[in-house]
Amino acid sequence: MVIINPNTHKGKNKTQHGKHESAQQVKNNIVTRKAPATEHSQMNPLYGFFAIAIALALGHALHILWSGLPASLYGMITLTLLLQFRVFSAAKVSAAITWLLRHIGVCFVPAGVGIIEHLALIQQYGLLLVGVIFFTTFLLLTLVGLSFQKLENIENSPLKRTQ
Amino acid sequence: MFAGLSSIDIVFISLLYCAVTVGVYVGLTHLQYKLGSLWCNPMMWSVVLLSALFIMTGVEYANYQAATQSLTWLIEPAVVAFGLPLYQQISEIKFHWKKILLLLLIANTVVIVVSLILVMLFLGLTDIAISVSLKSITTAIAITLTQQLNGAISITAFAVILAGLLGAFIGIPWLNFIKVTSPRAQGLAIGAASHALGTATISQISQQHGAFASIALIVSATITAIIAPVLITYCLSFF
Repeated sequence: MVIINPNTHKGKNKTQHGKHESAQQVKNNIVTRKAPATEHSQMNPLYGFFAIAIALALGHALHILWSGLPASLYGMITLTLLLQFRVFSAAKVSAAITWLLRHIGVCFVPAGVGIIEHLALIQQYGLLLVGVIFFTTFLLLTLVGLSFQKLENIENSPLKRTQ
Repeated sequence: MFAGLSSIDIVFISLLYCAVTVGVYVGLTHLQYKLGSLWCNPMMWSVVLLSALFIMTGVEYANYQAATQSLTWLIEPAVVAFGLPLYQQISEIKFHWKKILLLLLIANTVVIVVSLILVMLFLGLTDIAISVSLKSITTAIAITLTQQLNGAISITAFAVILAGLLGAFIGIPWLNFIKVTSPRAQGLAIGAASHALGTATISQISQQHGAFASIALIVSATITAIIAPVLITYCLSFF
């Protein structure tokens, strides 16, 4: 996703880009020994969309076999495995996928407009719903933050090292 | 739905609605770029503007929904696309994967159950409870799961944005207040609670914040996708 402050987005891109570049450099070093990758294949967005299509098709096949998860989630896990086992090159798919994830917000607009069918509910319970969302978001922040901080503190404590 | 219309009319209406939707969204994206504020979330304001427009002009939602099917279909490939960030985080997760997996599993389970119970107690509406309990994960996956579990998709979309904005704005001050100061813990907490919106905001602070937030974002979404169907169905059987 999506919908982000352009400034923050730039920041995110920079870090991702930096990471991606270093990964790509390493990869290029490996690749160039065998065969130099052409500039064209690096840039072709169709490669990325093709990888997604293959992963999604496999996801649908898995969904028919075992309908535990939605087909698209099987597809996501399939894509991860395909990248992990070097069936597709992560460096080559990243241009198309980064673009897709940045602009995907528009696809949720029709779903969001469905809110006009819930206007009565919002008028009656809107504040209550916002309250529940606030409370549970803070609960999740606190649970994850505090526990991970505790774990780190235990690891770093001098007590453990002497034991 | 489009009774009495020729197929050419239907294609024309679909194109028109899709063009209006994309146009409004692109316009608002440029506005956000100029203003640079997180509150100008183009998805949220597109929904608000188009909803107001349709209420004023009397367009029925069912017609709009049918006409924009092609946009909604794109959610599927978008969810698949999250395979890339998941792959990119695998090497990071290697060192801490037991801790992170267990922590996010427990935290997400607790929060899903608490949200579900609160909404069921106050409102007693199953579809709304499902939507609110899925708010902490990224929109594409939240909406896919809501469809699978027969929740209210539009409520999910709003709940997800609200949770994102909340963590993006108040997350860091709150974590500092409860003395959670390590960049890893802060990143993980904000990624888990506020998905992509929170991740984008705190990536500005440090790279470690950003890395751990994106781990939490993608691992939480995967865990929730796996546990939510079972967990939610089980919890709802008590009401």
